[in-house]
Parts: sequence; C-alpha cells; structure tokens
Amino acid sequence: MKAVGARLPRYDGVGHVTGRTQYVDDVRVGRTLWVKALRSPHHHAGITKLDTAKAEAMQGVYAVITHKDVPRNVYGHLEGLGVPGDEPLLADGEVRYKGQPIAAVAAESEEAAQAAVEAIEVAYDERPALFDIRLALDPDAPKIHQWGNVYPHYGPYNHRRVRKGDIDWAFDKADVIVEGVYRPQAIEQMPMETQVALAVPEANGRLTIYSCTQAMYFSMGVVAAHLEVPLNKLKFVGGTVGGGFGGKVDTAADTICALLAIKARRPVKWRWTREEEFLSSSTRAAWHIEIADAVTSDGWILGRRTVTLHDSGAYARFSPYGVTKHAFHHSGAYSIPNLRFDGFVCFTNRVPSTAMRGFGVTSVSFAVETHLTRVASVLGIDPWELRLRNANRIGDTSGNGVALKDPSTVAVALAAAERVGIELPAEYRQMTSDPRSGDLLPEHLVAQQRLNGEGA
Amino acid sequence: MRLTVNGREHEIASAPLTALLHVLREELEITSPKAGCQQGGCGTCTVLVDGEPRRSCLTPVVMVDGAAITTLEGLGEAEELSAVQAAFHNKYAAQCGFCTPGMVVAATALIERKGGAVDRDDVLEALGGHYCRCTGYVKIVDAVMAASRGDVEAVADLPTPGESEPDVLVKGSPA
Amino acid sequence: MAAEALVPSSAAEAVQLFGDGKDITVFAGGTILMPEIAAGRLKPARTLLLHRSGLDELRIDGDVIRIGATVPVAALVDGSNELLARFAQEIGDREVRAAATVGGNICATAGLGAQRGDLGAPLIALGARVRSDGKGGERTEPVEDFLAGDRSGRLVLEIEVDAPKGAWSAQTLRRRHAHSYSVANVAICSNGDGLRVGVSGIGPAAVRARTVEQSRNAEDVLKDVDPVDDALASAAYRQKMLVVLTQRALDEVGKA
Repeated sequence: MKAVGARLPRYDGVGHVTGRTQYVDDVRVGRTLWVKALRSPHHHAGITKLDTAKAEAMQGVYAVITHKDVPRNVYGHLEGLGVPGDEPLLADGEVRYKGQPIAAVAAESEEAAQAAVEAIEVAYDERPALFDIRLALDPDAPKIHQWGNVYPHYGPYNHRRVRKGDIDWAFDKADVIVEGVYRPQAIEQMPMETQVALAVPEANGRLTIYSCTQAMYFSMGVVAAHLEVPLNKLKFVGGTVGGGFGGKVDTAADTICALLAIKARRPVKWRWTREEEFLSSSTRAAWHIEIADAVTSDGWILGRRTVTLHDSGAYARFSPYGVTKHAFHHSGAYSIPNLRFDGFVCFTNRVPSTAMRGFGVTSVSFAVETHLTRVASVLGIDPWELRLRNANRIGDTSGNGVALKDPSTVAVALAAAERVGIELPAEYRQMTSDPRSGDLLPEHLVAQQRLNGEGA
Repeated sequence: MRLTVNGREHEIASAPLTALLHVLREELEITSPKAGCQQGGCGTCTVLVDGEPRRSCLTPVVMVDGAAITTLEGLGEAEELSAVQAAFHNKYAAQCGFCTPGMVVAATALIERKGGAVDRDDVLEALGGHYCRCTGYVKIVDAVMAASRGDVEAVADLPTPGESEPDVLVKGSPA
Repeated sequence: MAAEALVPSSAAEAVQLFGDGKDITVFAGGTILMPEIAAGRLKPARTLLLHRSGLDELRIDGDVIRIGATVPVAALVDGSNELLARFAQEIGDREVRAAATVGGNICATAGLGAQRGDLGAPLIALGARVRSDGKGGERTEPVEDFLAGDRSGRLVLEIEVDAPKGAWSAQTLRRRHAHSYSVANVAICSNGDGLRVGVSGIGPAAVRARTVEQSRNAEDVLKDVDPVDDALASAAYRQKMLVVLTQRALDEVGKA
C-alpha cells in the first residue's frame, strides 16, 4: 500500500513530453491505404440508387464497400444485454441521419479516396424528418424507426419505469406541488484525437486492428459480430487514446477498416477529420426531463413524478442502458418514499447519441439538484437544510427498493458547505447518516418504513 | 525542396502545397505534431519554424522551403529532458498527451522569447489557441511558469522496499 | 496534388503571373486556404504563392503607414496604429496571426459558418486605400470601394493607412476564447468634420455605414448592413448587437 497517497510519476509521462507516445495514427505499417466514407447529406431519405462501379475503377482505389459487403450488417451495441440490433453498419436502402455512412473507399491517398467517394453514384428521395423528442409519442409525427419512434423493449413497456410506494397519496397529501422542466443539451466530447483505426490483414489469416477504442474487448466483440468471425480471428492493439470521454465506445471506425482491409488485402487506415467528428460522431444525448415534487410546507418531499425523454438519435446504441442508469438516480441522494418515473428512449433523425462522462446520470443529477433548489425557493427554506433533512440515511431505501447501508449524502453535503464557507445551524452541522429518528422521522416515513418492511 | 528538421537535412518529395504537418508525419515519419483538426484551430500541430511557433497544418511546405523546423522530438529526450518537458512531466500537465507536443513547443518558444520568468497572462496569450480536453489547463499553466523560473523538481518513483520496511504481504505468500 | 505552384520573387513578377486572376489561386499566409484544401472543398490547379514577392514590407512614411499585402496580422498587433492593433489582436491566436496576412484578411470571403475580414472595419474607419493590380491594370481606391466591388481579378499589393486624425473607437464582439470568429465589429474614426464608420464580421465583406455617419443615430447602422445567420450568431442577434456596439462607439468618439 505504499503507492496510495504517494506522488508518483506517470508511467507514460516521459513518452508524452518527448513525443514518443504512440497513438493509432502514429503507427506506421507499410503499404497502408487511406479511407474516406460516403456519408448521407440528408437527415432522412430513401436511397434509390447506389452504384460504386465508377469509384472502383478509379486509379489508386483498392476497395469499395457497401452494405452488401458486410456479413452481418445490422447489429446492436447492447445485444449482449438483450437489446435487439437495429443499426446497419453501412446504410441499406435508407438513411436516418445526416452523416450516416453509406459506403467506404480504401485508396492510395486521402485525396484519391475522396475523389472515389465523389464518383459513387447515389440518389435519394427525401422523407420528413423528426428532430423534437417531445413529438416522439405523437401519432402524427413522421415514423422514423422500425420500432416506432420510441424504444419498446423494456420488458412489456415502451419506457423504463420506477414505481415505489403510493404516488397518488403523496400528491394528495402535499401542501405544494413544485414543477420544473430541465433540458440539458447534447455535447460533443471533442477529444483532441479524432476517431481513427488501422486494420492490418496478417499472413496467418487473422486481422490486427489498432484501435482508439475505450473498451477493447467490447469493440472486438462488435467487429467479430459484424464480420461473423470467431474472436480468435482478431487481434486488437490498443494503446494511448488521445481522449475519449465516452465518445470512443461506439467502435466507429474499426469495423469498416476491417472490411476494407480484407477486401483490399492491404492495411487500411481511417482517420476522421475534425469536421466528421463534429458532424457525424456520436455525442452526449439531449434530454427533456419534467419533474413534479409533492412537498410539505416544512420541507419534506413526499413524492416525485418524473417523465424523461432521451434523444437517442437515429438508432438505439447504448441509450436503453443510459435511461436505465438515469432512472436509478432520479431520486438523487435523497429519500423520497413515493416515486413514479417513466423514461422514454426517443428516436430522432440525429446522429445516434452515446456516452459521455457520467452517461445518463449527469443529466438527471443536474435536473434533480436544480429542482431541489427550486423547491427550497418556493417553500422559503434554506436549500442546504432541505437537502440535509431529506438526505439518504442508513435504512432508507433507494428508488428501486434497495436498503441503504452506507450512504454518504450527509457527510458530503456538510463537507461541501464547509468548503464553500456556508455556516449552517448547529443542529444541521451535527447531522450524521445514522438511521432516522426523532424529528428526522416524520409520520409519513414511519408509515413508509412499515410499508417497505423496514425500520424498528 | 529542402527542410532541416531537428538538425537533420532532408530532401522533400511531397507536392509543394502539402501541409508541413503531413510532410513531417507521412513523408518523414516524425509523428509528434498531430492532426487534431487540420484547420489551425486546435494547436496540436504546432512546430517551430526558424524558432517561431507555427501551425504546421496551415503551412504549405513550399512556403518553408529551406527553413529549420523543430518538433517536440528535437527539444529533448528521455535521458535529458528540457526544462519545459520536465515541468510538464513533474507537474502532471499531460494526461492523454495528445495536446502535449503543441503545448510544449509553444511554451518553449514563449520562454525563449521572454528570456525569463513568465506570468499567467503571458502563458494564456501564447497558449490560448491550444486546446486541451483532459487537464483543465491549470497544471499546464503551472508547468510553463515553473519551467520559466527554473523551478523543476523531479517526481521520484516509489523506492524499492528496504529490509527495514514492513512487507504488506503475509510472510511466505507466493505473490 | 498535381497543383502547379508558382513562387514569384518580386511584386512585378507576381502581377505578371496573376494576369487577370482567372484560374489562379493566390496564397498569402495560407491560413484560410489550407483548411479548405484539407477539407477537399478547394482543389487549386494553379497557385500563386506570394511569400517571396517582397510584399511583406511595413513602411512608415510620415503620417502614412504602408502595409504590404503579405505583412502578417501579427505586425499590426504591436504596431503604431492602435485602432488597427485592437482589431488585429482578436484575430486567431498568436500562431495564426504570425502566418495570416493583412491582404489575405481583406480579400477573405465568408467561411463555412463564420465571417472573416475583420480588419475591414478599422481600415474603412481610417479611410485606408488599397492599391491593387490585375484585370484593368493598377489602381488605388478606398477600402470600402474595393470590398464592395468585384474583387475577382484583383491582386492586392499594398494598403495605405493614415494615422487617425481625431477620436476613434474599436468595438468587437466575439465568443470568449481565442481564435473565435466575430459576431460583430464596429470601428469609428472622427476627424473633426465628420465620422467614418466601418462594420465587419457580420457578412461576406466589411461595409462602410454611411447613413449613421450622417445621422449619428446608432439604429441607422442597420440601413447599410445586412447581417447573416451563421454558426456563431443569428442575423437577429447581430442586428441587436450592432446597434449596441455602434452606440458605444459613437459615445466613445463623442466624449473625446
């Protein structure tokens, strides 16, 4: 345990400051070809013509691929978790977001690859597009996903739901209902290194892929699934990733490089431009979160109703998981005995969204903390005191009914208040995470504890 | 065309309008300057051209024909780090490291230009066009100022355990 | 790239190679053209690179500053004309300013989603003149006329700038980090018997706002400019801000 608390040099630090650290684009393999992709210029359209013959015939072009070249084109990132696949690697018959890849070229230079992309003959018939997640459940909205505009596979439901206690009782009993709508927006992770992959066909029939993925084994599985090869056909080489922040879990470049490398029989590298990164790479999702808290005038939160709409973009990717994480945290670090949460994964004609630091949780934490401050303001109560009273304590249960053994809300809140120079009344400064008693155990929580089979 | 890079002369075969960035990375295989944006917007491609920091992605190689180029590799090596390199390492100013080449090159030029200690405003003015998405910049600014003051204390690795120090593991453990 | 790269070694040779400007791409600093080439939007067949043409001289001739077309923007930042310095220092960052040129800045057209040519505003306010050659021969004209005219076929050689004769004001609005493009810029010079008002960063070229020069009513700036929507700001926001910036500039000039 000597390392804990010690200031140690980074093992990669010297490499970073001498320019020796190797990122995927720095790997040099002889005879490497460069990749450019044909991307949809439309938000939503049918593809009425796709002819790559002219591109294939061009000087310096070694391979062109479309959906026809993908052994298993439709796959879902979360198939291992039971989320059915819905997204084509390369568009087949239609495009659902601007920037969606339709075809890819491997050629002797980036210029030659780009010229070949421009020589691909493609025609579209544009369709109405959906951008506003608030319209996703509207029967008149354009239908843009084969599942309807809302992910339908949360068991028998089309939403992630949390039900705890008796929400109607809470809203009936409350002195005040405080409502709020919170709309955190999409954010591009913008790592300094863009998406990049280098695929090298080996003499023994295996494929080596130099990948910038944040999750090597996961991406290996995705590539193996699309190529319909056993995992031992692939060798993934990771290394230093030039920043990911959640934006490099979608295996954005590896599979297309792999297919081109196999077809061209040469190493193939795809280095996304910054423009591609901004326009076509997956971002943190946008959310629409509506919260209604049933509260007493003396600052007890009796119940919370939440409806969340999550902008998954054109395909599901990790969104069903993100909304699940979001659901776990929708009561925040506080003990709210009656909950009704409905979270919808909505499809729009945007680039599919993905993870970014705190995936699913940052959005709801922002919403619930902002909302609590609003509640405090409406009730005329100090916002620290409101939080400390309702904070999770030993024996309280989480939103999905798990009894809490070691919550840290009180300790953290008190430490934070001290750090920023907030002077709390003594009774608050002395609060602990011990099981509720006395003034901290109002009538409704006693009844709730009995209902949940807790407490003395 | 000819370029002297990190003290070594090269004949350049690339086309005249090829960005210096790509001449360095693809023709000469000097990979510390990075293709972060290829628009001059991020600073990861910065190198010294005749001692001055320039965006290599914005520089057609024909415009620097005959110039002396210095990249991060030319500023120091593991056995003998420059003050700026050592400061970045010791002050944890590099996390993923992708912005580090451009930052160190620009910082080196700043300190050279000022000829002494630099303050926070100096650093922000010189490095203000360089993005970092990992560190939040504070440690980078600290490292540059420290390097300019010659204030670079090394961070030591863990000492190997001596006999007098208690072992964490149970005696006789196979680990 | 199979581009033909021409590198003249004098201004006269540059003019001769430029001809009438047809089918030739002029490289001054390259800071605008290189990203377009990298993105595949520009594929020049013949380029004229000016870095050896002797157009990079900055001369002070009494009260007149003569700025060669390829003088770097950086040279204006520490230069004697403070109004120009105030605008120049906002362009790009230190490294971009060292490569970008004054001539390139005023010849720039709108970018993809951002406006350029910021220096047009102070140059108009200062009554600067552009000397250019090309189709129709050499001529010298006020900056605002150069910018409003057909710039294709013109090779900028030099910009003449007089020192401000009275009060001036520089109002720039942009996002709060280095090398952001402009939301809106207003420059005003007063020379005793009148005002000159230059506006830039709001559309494809800087414009002289003559109506407000006469009326001194800030809202009249909108009578001469047509701000655009782009990635940075909406036309509506630009309109609102232009009036505010113009008022501030008028106030500053009026107080002096």
